[in-house]
Amino acid sequence: MATAIPSIACLGVIGRNNNPLHITIFPSHDPATNTSRQPVRTPLQFSLLLSSCLDVFDLRLRSTTGPVSGDLGLLHAVDERLAAYGYETNTGVRFIVVVDMRGRRADGRLLAERVGKGAAGAAAVGLREGEMKPVFKAMQTAYIKLLQNPFYDPDEHSPPNGVGGKKITSRTFAEDMKRIGESWIPGVNAL
Amino acid sequence: MDDYPRFSLDHNVPLLVTLGVTTDESPYTLDTDPALRANAVTIESKTPSLDSDQARGLLSYILDHDASDLPWNGHDAAVKYRFRVRTAERTLSLPSRQAQLPENVEPPQSPVVLHSPYSPLSPVSQLYPDGLIDAKWVKKHQELVPSVILSFYNLTSDPTRATLDDNKLKSDINGVKGALQQSGYKSRLAVMILSEQKKASVEVQERLENIRRGCGLDPKCFFFIPAVDSRDQLERFAENAMATIYVQALNYYSDMSKHVRKKRSRGVAPSPTVPPTSGTSQTLSLHDWNVRYDFKSGVFAEYRQEMDVAFRSYEQAYENLLSSEVAELIPNWSPRFNEARQLADILSIRTLRCLLWAGQSTAAVRRWQHHRDRIADLVDRRGSSTNNYGWQAWEARWATVMANLLERAKLPDLVPSTLALYMPAEKGAMVDRIRPWELLHHTGYWYRLASRHLYRRRAFALAIPEDDRRPPASSPASWVANKAFTYDTYMCPEPHEEYPLNESKGVNHSQLITDCIMKARSEFQKRQQLRLAAELSLECSREFKDPKNVVLLLEPLWRDMSFRTEGWLDIAEELSWNLRKAAFATGRTDLVVTIDWELLNMGFTKLGNWHYDLSKSLHGMEADSKPTVKIHDGNVLSFLSTSFIFKSEEGKAGEVARAQLSVTSRAHLGTAPITIDRLQLDFVGSIRTLVLEHKHDLGHPSQEHRDTTIYSTQLEEKTEDEGDGQQTALHGDVELTLKPGETRVFNLDIPLREPGEANAASARFFIHHETFDMEFVAGFREDTASEKWYLSASSKKHVSRANAHSIRVLPRPPKMEIKLLTGPEEFYTNEYIDLQFELVNAEEEKASTKLDVIIRGDEPPPRFTIQVAGSDERREASTSSDESSIQNESLGGIDASKSGLVMVRIDAHACSATFDITLQVTYHLESDHATSIIQTGTFPLVIVSPFEANYDLFPRLHPGPWPTLFNYEATGIEVGPEDATAVVPRGISQAWCLITRYASFAITNLTVKGLDVRVKTPPSARCHTTQKEKLPDSGREVTPKTIEETSFDLVAQRMSLDERGTVALDVSFIIKWSRLPSESLPDPPVNTTILAVPKLSIFGMEPRVLGSVSFIKTPLEMIELTITIENASNHFLTFGLTMEPSEEFAFSGSKQTTMHVLPVSRRSTTYRLVPLIRDAWIRPSLVVRDKYFQKVLRVISTEGMKQDKDGFLIWVPPKEEDDEEEKVQQ
Repeated sequence: MATAIPSIACLGVIGRNNNPLHITIFPSHDPATNTSRQPVRTPLQFSLLLSSCLDVFDLRLRSTTGPVSGDLGLLHAVDERLAAYGYETNTGVRFIVVVDMRGRRADGRLLAERVGKGAAGAAAVGLREGEMKPVFKAMQTAYIKLLQNPFYDPDEHSPPNGVGGKKITSRTFAEDMKRIGESWIPGVNAL
Repeated sequence: MDDYPRFSLDHNVPLLVTLGVTTDESPYTLDTDPALRANAVTIESKTPSLDSDQARGLLSYILDHDASDLPWNGHDAAVKYRFRVRTAERTLSLPSRQAQLPENVEPPQSPVVLHSPYSPLSPVSQLYPDGLIDAKWVKKHQELVPSVILSFYNLTSDPTRATLDDNKLKSDINGVKGALQQSGYKSRLAVMILSEQKKASVEVQERLENIRRGCGLDPKCFFFIPAVDSRDQLERFAENAMATIYVQALNYYSDMSKHVRKKRSRGVAPSPTVPPTSGTSQTLSLHDWNVRYDFKSGVFAEYRQEMDVAFRSYEQAYENLLSSEVAELIPNWSPRFNEARQLADILSIRTLRCLLWAGQSTAAVRRWQHHRDRIADLVDRRGSSTNNYGWQAWEARWATVMANLLERAKLPDLVPSTLALYMPAEKGAMVDRIRPWELLHHTGYWYRLASRHLYRRRAFALAIPEDDRRPPASSPASWVANKAFTYDTYMCPEPHEEYPLNESKGVNHSQLITDCIMKARSEFQKRQQLRLAAELSLECSREFKDPKNVVLLLEPLWRDMSFRTEGWLDIAEELSWNLRKAAFATGRTDLVVTIDWELLNMGFTKLGNWHYDLSKSLHGMEADSKPTVKIHDGNVLSFLSTSFIFKSEEGKAGEVARAQLSVTSRAHLGTAPITIDRLQLDFVGSIRTLVLEHKHDLGHPSQEHRDTTIYSTQLEEKTEDEGDGQQTALHGDVELTLKPGETRVFNLDIPLREPGEANAASARFFIHHETFDMEFVAGFREDTASEKWYLSASSKKHVSRANAHSIRVLPRPPKMEIKLLTGPEEFYTNEYIDLQFELVNAEEEKASTKLDVIIRGDEPPPRFTIQVAGSDERREASTSSDESSIQNESLGGIDASKSGLVMVRIDAHACSATFDITLQVTYHLESDHATSIIQTGTFPLVIVSPFEANYDLFPRLHPGPWPTLFNYEATGIEVGPEDATAVVPRGISQAWCLITRYASFAITNLTVKGLDVRVKTPPSARCHTTQKEKLPDSGREVTPKTIEETSFDLVAQRMSLDERGTVALDVSFIIKWSRLPSESLPDPPVNTTILAVPKLSIFGMEPRVLGSVSFIKTPLEMIELTITIENASNHFLTFGLTMEPSEEFAFSGSKQTTMHVLPVSRRSTTYRLVPLIRDAWIRPSLVVRDKYFQKVLRVISTEGMKQDKDGFLIWVPPKEEDDEEEKVQQ
């Protein structure tokens, strides 16, 4: 177990109307086969997981006074492996990162390259506070890039009438998400 | 947690047994175990039990404050003491301290050392010879051996019996005390003396003291409860007493701890009463004993509520237990192995409780994980591996345990009302990195975790080979032996019970799972995690065997599904399929049809093995009658999308509005085409319901492009009989079979009836199938999203306005037309203006009409009259300063497409001006008398002056003689015959010529019928004009913009000779004219236009020199030039005249002469000129000079002469002309 480190299992972008805008699912490390091919859950289960996080966003909104935006930190841990972190932009778009605590095989070389020596041991234990900040920052950058595209109409994706909305179809955005999810490991400062 | 032996996990609270009060509540009972009953110590009180209200009240207070069910946390600081209370009336039996030797055991040689029946040393104990500890020991302290026996006595109030009763009491207490001491238990005895007296008098005090001393009781164990008025007071007494007793109880458990410590510190493993002969013959080692002692220490510490001490003891016991010396040495086939595992679990649970008690939530989760990992490791190495159902069962149990612990602990930071999902890490656990799960989540998450393990347990169970599923009796012995090693059966059934061949008898995994999930769900619901709760319901529904339950669980979710509206279609789809399956099984046709309808939507995943044909929905279902299913748009994601747009925002009542209805099918490709039998559009407002009915083969659509087809649909009004009366609707026949992806667009002309707002409310699709009828209602929402209007099948445009499905119906437009029949193009001043208006009724029925005519303008408008055709009456307008009007002139009824005529005659207006003439027709149709319809027509009326003129006044020589100043009477000049009767003027006369040049500014030719000047003379003079040339009788036709000239002679005479001042004349130029005769007006009226002439000033003071010529033909052609000097002044003037010779003519007359002119007189001198040149102007250079003033006077020319700045000129006609002609050149 010590050989596994956290990785991102799923990235979700949720629109203002609680509608899914984008979901990317990443494969997790499977100690039985020692490969990373299969995601730890099915897409339906990830959908359910992301939607359950919306409850937490709502709860936070209710329990605190004033607007909630920015990094909400840990939303909840579903079990020992999966935990969801949330971020809300000031336009009401929500980013959810689902972390698989044992999603990646600890490769000492990789860790040393990315975050410096000595990180590998610590990384296996848990996550620092604010560990998701670079992920959210990168996601927001990608989202802003998407918004800058004149052909992307945010109202189409989260209509002001509050019902549903289209999903994001931008390939660049999907690639960005994929890159963010794949390149994150605990301890990186920027993505 | 209920799976663990009773009492093993309970929180330990000091046990108190009451003695001496009758009650049925929580009675003390000794174990039924014969080993314990044998040699039981009986403690008996001889005095009868108390039955007074005071005693009962006291006991009920004590029972009410039983602490066994208090939450397992240390937050309730208000609790001063915690007791578990049992009641005994007069006797209680304590378990025997020493076990007896079983009869079949041969006693050893040495003297028998008997041990407690709970000890593994005693052969009667189940732990004998090598068990560690079991729940019975905990039960002994929890339930059987009290820390304090509280005995109640009554103090006699009768003074005569006082001594006797007190002594009885004393002996009874002593008896109890003695029995207790004899039993060997160190339980404390406390006594409560109840009295009927309110206050303890000195006497009573003495008695009490006597009793206490006589029994040798500590004052801390001896209480006096006097009679009290209120329960509150009683409770206060009781509370104080109990708090004191509590200290005794804690002391008792300290003593027990000390005893255990003493035993542990001996450092020797005691030998059993009888050496074991069965099994491995193994006895407990010192390490084993230490585990036992540490466990006991922990429990006693817990009794004292010293949770930190307990924690340390438990941890020590746990570490020792799992060390290489204890658990590792136990063979895994031995039942002791599972006992050790259970003890490890119990120790861990007790440790967790201690941690939660201290609020160390993160440490608790870590400890929880630690135990799981330790045991997994142990089981993997020593047991039968973690890859079987038994391990998963334990994992599920382990997660449930945590949930149960949290339930009992009731951590204040995690109660549902806080809406907190997890606790923040406590300060002590704050390390740099933390796993998310280590933040203690609420119970729901733990139950959910347990359910996951239960799923896995089932998966493992289902994988058990058939051979293992046979009961042991019917399987070979080798299999049975093999099974024992393969399956982990710790706290779970054997494989043949877990999943027997007869499946109905085995473990009901589904039940386990659903129970667990339902518990989790209720926790999530309490914390408003509704989506998560919905997810669990979905999970749960898969486990339900009874489809009715599934429908019950899923239908409310499916009805108001946030997943659907928020666009989580994959979840919605899963839910729908699950519900459909159950609905199909329970015969819920409405649900089946609705779900099938929804799942046709392309947004959902298409399943390969599904028919996607609505007509087959109910195949295989039995229904009593043909069901009718009603589906609302908001409830499902329909594949049919409907839009209805009015082309324009506004329409007028009585007209038709162009609208477009489009229906698009977004069904899966390959879906059977769907035929809508009837489409009904309901409107809010005055628009009639629109019904489109399906007809086959209606011919060709107007346009078709790919999947879009446009039809122009004819609508007709039909009245249908419906349930509640007749209803008129617009009907149209259309073809309404929609293939997937197809769009049908219908262009409709919808008649608008009444003014107001109207909008399409809903579209209702009626579909009839053999097995069911359905109605789908799609509402049109108020929406800001722009809709699309199909211009053609291939092109559409955005309709930018919001709510394109609504239209504002404006009032019915007036259809009465007001026409101005052709009249003159221009209107002139001073003429009557006749206008003729025609009111054309373009309505479809007769209209009763009234008319208002108003003329408005900047100036006071002219008066006018109107006359309605067919009537002789003329009505005059009433005029005010800014308008003149005629109101409510009735025109009667005008038939449809007929017209009425109105003549308006406007009085002549004197000056040019601009007016508006407004005709307002108010009418109502015969069919609708209430609604007045108003039509207005406004026509500009520009009145211009037809003529303009300018004027010149030239002096002329008056032929008549002037009166002489000297012969004043002699003058008899007649100025005019008409003045004969008037005063005869006696002043001087002068003649003038007024030349007027006028031009027509009209746009047509006009006939000038007469010209005149009117002179208004002041009283000091008299004036007379004559026109020189007369116009012909028929008048002269004047063309526009040509200047016509006419001249008038003007003769003026002063009334008196004495007057000297100038006279100003007011002259008006009068033109009488008419328009040219036309067909409509053969004899046009003559109008008079008066033009004002600028003021003419005559009769100056200065002398005038007038030159006049006359031609003399014989004998010689000569020109006679007469120079007349008029002296209107009172002075005698002398003028010098000098005539220069010229080459142009010869002249006779004085070359140089002097003329004297008397005051108010004139004199002439004549020159005869013989011109030397012909056909030219000659310029006689004649200078007239005022001798006195030495001033040259200008010679003013008259007829036949011309003047320029150098002097005057005379025209000499050509010679050929015999007759002399006069030409006036100016």
